[in-house]
Amino acid sequence: MSQEDGEAKTEAPRNTSGTTEVFETSTTVIVEKKSQKRIFKIIVIGDSNVGKTCLTYRFCSGKFPEKTEATIGVDFRERTLEIDGESIKLQLWDTAGQERFRKSMVQHYYRNVHAVVFVYDVTKASSFENMPSWVDECDRHHLNTDIPRILVGNKCDMRDKAQIATNVAQKFADSHNMPLFETSAKDDSACDHVDAIFMTLAHKLKNSKPMMSPKLAGMVKNRVINVGKSRDGRRLSQSRESENEKDMCGC
Amino acid sequence: MNSNHNSEKKTTDTKSNHENYRSKDDLTKKQKVAAIKKTLKSDPVDVDRLRQLAISRGGLINDELRRQCWPKLLNVNIYGISKKPENLKEHRDYNQVVLDVARSLKRFPPGMRDEQRLVLQDQLIDVIMRVLVKNPELHYYQGYHDICVTFLLIVSEDIAFALVDQLSTNHLRDFMEKTMEKTTKILSYLYPILGKANPELREFMELAETGTIFCLSWLITWFGHVLSDFRHVVRLYDFFLACHPMMPIYVAAAIVLYRQEEVLQCECDMAMIHSLLSKIPDGLPYEQLISKAGDLYLQYPPEKLEQEANLQLKKSQSITNYKKLKLSSRSQEPDSVLKARRRQKLKEQQERRLVVMNRQEHGSRLVKVTVWALTAAVGVAAYAVMYAATDLNHWWYGH
Repeated sequence: MSQEDGEAKTEAPRNTSGTTEVFETSTTVIVEKKSQKRIFKIIVIGDSNVGKTCLTYRFCSGKFPEKTEATIGVDFRERTLEIDGESIKLQLWDTAGQERFRKSMVQHYYRNVHAVVFVYDVTKASSFENMPSWVDECDRHHLNTDIPRILVGNKCDMRDKAQIATNVAQKFADSHNMPLFETSAKDDSACDHVDAIFMTLAHKLKNSKPMMSPKLAGMVKNRVINVGKSRDGRRLSQSRESENEKDMCGC
Repeated sequence: MNSNHNSEKKTTDTKSNHENYRSKDDLTKKQKVAAIKKTLKSDPVDVDRLRQLAISRGGLINDELRRQCWPKLLNVNIYGISKKPENLKEHRDYNQVVLDVARSLKRFPPGMRDEQRLVLQDQLIDVIMRVLVKNPELHYYQGYHDICVTFLLIVSEDIAFALVDQLSTNHLRDFMEKTMEKTTKILSYLYPILGKANPELREFMELAETGTIFCLSWLITWFGHVLSDFRHVVRLYDFFLACHPMMPIYVAAAIVLYRQEEVLQCECDMAMIHSLLSKIPDGLPYEQLISKAGDLYLQYPPEKLEQEANLQLKKSQSITNYKKLKLSSRSQEPDSVLKARRRQKLKEQQERRLVVMNRQEHGSRLVKVTVWALTAAVGVAAYAVMYAATDLNHWWYGH
């Protein structure tokens, strides 16, 4: 599996929650807190074969995986980003698309999620038509509606086979208050675009309230970190998004 | 050739221990091949003996022998296979199967020509669909194709169908329910096993809320999805085909226990532990892990864990069916009645001894293994026979 590649790119080792800085605590507590790398958990969902694994793999390792297989259960990838001088870590949980898995298995992974990425395949109408049920499922897991959500139409490299028009998808995205991105995990020239999508999300998350370490968050289960209310973050990402759409993808 | 080797050994003291073991290995391997062939030739085929051979070190040795042994282990008559029906494409799961098979490139040998692989992929779709069409109560799951491809790479399409058909209504039955409720239940045995073997590890993993999804694919694909070396996959299949349906979860536990130091050094965090464990590193000592899994099964059998974890084992159809399958495999030969009588007599004797042993709740494992060796009736007991009877600790390590 491909986690290793994703991890290999991550510069910081496992003890990301600032434990390396512990010996500096003699100065002040604040110093230690600042050095903590914030971790954001993002769940990637959508029908089988829409390219969830390829998208997350592309983002975490910069490559399109040569041979992908059906994801069984949940795979994990991560990447550390430097944003405005702050190092933040995105943890991507890549889920199986087959319905039976999400009913009983994936639930565990909805907990303490900071953002949701919905993925459909622009060349497969049914994968878009199923989007409402994915949104429903998200709601069913009591995710705070202020949690950032984005919609990604994948496989834009096969433009001639596209079955879902951008304006239709845009309408759906608007009605659920989320930005739409059309991209291709496969197309090397769109590589920056995939990066930009997750960067947008990262910006949004970064401008959120300071975050607890996942361990702490796990202890205070009912607390959901509310990032959507950051108006600046939203505007920033929206502008980036339209820029990207113009520059990177002609869909 | 062997005597040459021995005389050489006498004259040269420089020969390393390693080499000594290797020469011993070759002999053992040869002996084992001979034993398997002998068992296959015997009429009736002694399926219990075949089970022992499939479980013990090295398993069924090579694919040629697997081709002959696997149908026997599953009690499949390869001469009475039903014809391929026409309506395979109409099944509800057809599209999902096609998608998954198209993406299963990793499962074919790296050197295989594309044309050959494409033929096999088409056959793989048919194998899966034939089982699903024949058994409307079975539901396809992603990962089922990983099981089917393993069989297809060993036997022909028709036989692969017959074997997987049998397996699906037995060992895999719980995975093929409409929902994954029963699969989740089987996964829930992992922590009780870990807890018995290493309470600290269990506590650590539970504190991190690791869950069991990291080993979901191990269980439902019999490790076919995660292991890169096909030889390890088929070795494990030898073992699982000869064992109780719960054995894959014991192997999962053995792997986690083997990596316990790595886990305990990990940050106590779900993502980190999931990420560490879900990828199985290359070069794990599978014979040792199989042996460990067998030990764990003997020490903490599912029934014992059921009480403790308050699990509803009775609802597992795989386990109920397995008992039936084992019974029916006994009666596949004409003189089975005579055999059965002999076995019954032996069994009664052993059961009497077993009762005595069971009274000693904390009896040492060594004693237990010996009892199992005498019983030789249930799955892994066969392993215990081999383990106890021969100096297996030193077998095969050198290669």
